[in-house]
Amino acid sequence: MKKFSGSFAVTALVAAMSVSGLSQANVTDKDILDDQKTVEDVVSNGMGPRGQRYSPLDMINTATVKDMRPVWSFSFGGEKQRGQESQPMVKDGVMYVTASYSRVFAVDTKTGDELWEYNARLPDGIMPCCDVINRGVALYEDLVIFGTLDAKIVALDAKTGKVKWKKTVADYKEGYSITAAPMVVDGKLITGVSGGEFGIVGKVEAYDAKTGKILWTRPTVEGHMGYIWKDGKKVENGISGGQPGQTWPGDLWKSGGAATWLGGTYDPDTNSLFIGTGNPAPWNSHMRPGDNLFSSSRLAIDPDTGKIKWHFQTTPHDGWDYDGVNELISFDYQEGGKTVKAAATADRNGFMYVLNRTNGDFIRGFPFVDEITWAKGLDKKGRPIYNDTFRPGNPSAGEDGNKGSVVRAVPAFLGGKNWMPMAYSQQTELFYVPSNEWAMDIWNEPTAYKKGAAYLGAGFTIKPTNEEHIGVLRAMDPKTGKEVWRYKNYSPLWGGALTTAGNLVFIGTPEGYLKGFDAKTGELKYEFNTGSGIVGSPITWKQDGEQFISVVSGWGGAVPLWGGEVAKRVKHLNQGGSVWTFKLPKS
Amino acid sequence: MRIIVLLVVLSLSWAGAAQARLYDDVIASGVIYIGAYKNFPPYSFESEGKPQGVDIEIGRRIAEAFGLKMEVHWITPDESLEDDLRNNVWKGHYLDKDEANPLAMKHLADVMMRVPYDREYAFKRDGQGLLINEQVVLFGPYQRERWQVAFDSEKLERVGTVAVFQYHPIGVEIDSLPAFYLTSAFGGRMRENTIHFFNNAEAFAAMKAGKVDAVMGMRAEVDWQIGKEQGTRYKLAENGFPTMGKQQWDIGMAVAQSYRQLGNEVETVVDQLIRSGEVEKIYASYNLRYELPGLYQDVAQ
Repeated sequence: MKKFSGSFAVTALVAAMSVSGLSQANVTDKDILDDQKTVEDVVSNGMGPRGQRYSPLDMINTATVKDMRPVWSFSFGGEKQRGQESQPMVKDGVMYVTASYSRVFAVDTKTGDELWEYNARLPDGIMPCCDVINRGVALYEDLVIFGTLDAKIVALDAKTGKVKWKKTVADYKEGYSITAAPMVVDGKLITGVSGGEFGIVGKVEAYDAKTGKILWTRPTVEGHMGYIWKDGKKVENGISGGQPGQTWPGDLWKSGGAATWLGGTYDPDTNSLFIGTGNPAPWNSHMRPGDNLFSSSRLAIDPDTGKIKWHFQTTPHDGWDYDGVNELISFDYQEGGKTVKAAATADRNGFMYVLNRTNGDFIRGFPFVDEITWAKGLDKKGRPIYNDTFRPGNPSAGEDGNKGSVVRAVPAFLGGKNWMPMAYSQQTELFYVPSNEWAMDIWNEPTAYKKGAAYLGAGFTIKPTNEEHIGVLRAMDPKTGKEVWRYKNYSPLWGGALTTAGNLVFIGTPEGYLKGFDAKTGELKYEFNTGSGIVGSPITWKQDGEQFISVVSGWGGAVPLWGGEVAKRVKHLNQGGSVWTFKLPKS
Repeated sequence: MRIIVLLVVLSLSWAGAAQARLYDDVIASGVIYIGAYKNFPPYSFESEGKPQGVDIEIGRRIAEAFGLKMEVHWITPDESLEDDLRNNVWKGHYLDKDEANPLAMKHLADVMMRVPYDREYAFKRDGQGLLINEQVVLFGPYQRERWQVAFDSEKLERVGTVAVFQYHPIGVEIDSLPAFYLTSAFGGRMRENTIHFFNNAEAFAAMKAGKVDAVMGMRAEVDWQIGKEQGTRYKLAENGFPTMGKQQWDIGMAVAQSYRQLGNEVETVVDQLIRSGEVEKIYASYNLRYELPGLYQDVAQ
């Protein structure tokens, strides 16, 4: 309550001063840690460091949501549309939201007026692999911090949008970029890197959030040395995995992939960063026998030292580009009178995993999609039991110059669930998982060229597994692995979920709708078309005694790029770029 | 289908997005944009601030034949040829935006060099039976390319077969067909000795530093490196590449579908350059062997 009245005073002040500039309190470490409880702001990606995307707000609920209506819409403008995958942040009457092409906007949450905008100047010749999206900012003190397509971290003055510091995380010329929202833990700005198939090596880095000074770097491929900076000096901090060559053949570990392209979550209980890693390189698994650590894994990293505490690899020897980047969300549950400190993740590979977050032990795993061909199931330790018929072919087998044999792998490489974050309700104790049902035909394609040279491509076609739907929003019980309800969507789901104490779950669809569901039953309670496809994640907060919901609208991302037969279902969807904000009418 | 394609082209040009300049436009402008890969010796690269390389030389001769000035449209390679054609020949790159002038045309090459000339590739269809490369014309083969191994004669007496790479380290460019081949052929028996580099020049430098005993790359790339060496320590191997998919392929050019007339004119010019021996001379000036593309070899027989 104290927090509320304080915030109220600030908001009133903001209203009074809105012409001459807003009065803003700095974002502290405590604000970030308490983000889930303090409903007046949203200062972390995931609406709390654990990434539960659960709000205790309940003014908008299953009874009232039908009256919810938009109060303003803000356009990102310009020619630069394409996919908008951002989660907005809100602090003291200002929304900070990123847009495609590495742009940041500060918007007055009351009016939708633009306060400032920042356009990163991108160099010529950058080749980001998967559209020009950005997933959001981090807030710290008086800074708004985000990653750019040319792999830099930029810290802006929250009041003016002017650059306060800028650091190069990796060289874009080597194929690196950044699209994920960074996070701040105890004054440290934590970021990963994205990259295509150019032979990059994933890493996690920590910077002093106030100054941009590097603190530590941790490569995510076995064999690479980590470093920590002590009194300005770069000091060796242990080789990831101990030594090279244990789970990789030859020198392939040197270019092993495992990009940390989706960032991560933070669990204050165990003081662990949970960060996922991408697929191993090269793409074809027959070239690199072994588990290929730490690709397609979840890593628990000590934020103070950058050391890997434990890892859990969802797809060892990944041959399908399943990655392992999906968010690992911490939650507690009761079993036999004891509290289990768990964390759950729904993987691209079609399985959902519940882990012991103190040590990474496997508790249980279960499919969250209707069909999985590549594995027959999981063993006691959570390792997949492969079905080798469905592993894409050996490149040396098809070398008579003919198209290799076609394998039907389910899920398709875009995954049972892709980047779009799920939500966990403390009220229903269910996870709300945006998932997709699709298969891929994949084969080795010898009629391929790259940079004037003959090449062996991977040919693939992504196909829906049925006529009626691809997207499925599922309510999953992490204690039993049972699906409690499902909502089917014709086109693939590509936006994140939000759940509230109002017994609601919100998600956007490529068709443009923001939809609200009864969290217990899955009954559709609300829908509003925002005019372009939604591939961002909604948020909710309270201002002047009212509950607000915001979501970014703007179709794009990886689905229209990879298409296949799925393209037919989405090709009519229009691009866009705007933020929509909703609330209940004042009675 | 034709009509639909035509409509798409029309609507694109109306929107002021990527649009191919017509033959007359190119001639009238006084400038021809020759697309070539950036930093890719001996084909196309900059040296002392000037564009160099066999592709640049051929491009220069094309410009001269039309009485035009050559401008090089430098291409940063993407993950596949389809991407490069889309980004540089017919559509333009989605990052190529002019904030001050949003209706500006995208930067495209009038003619792109070093595009494989392969009928099967040109008429490749996607999963739904649609032509993948219908927005471009692939034409004018001017060179045949193949794979080549060079070795350090102080480490290896000869390379009779690739089997020696079970015992000797060999450098290759990462994510290339030689990388695929050496890490997967013969049950992966050469895998442990396959060392990856960002490009052929780095692999060759590693051989000179004694880190690998051989390199494998495209013939012209390897010839170029060998040609820069004094003495005879680094030699060309004569081995074959059993079970390897594509061992030789032809290199030509590409223009946008709507540029067909320009393509025809360029083809005539390049055909003359090949028949007169000019192209071979250009290759020789860079210390490269030259092999006629298949089309000309067949005629010669």
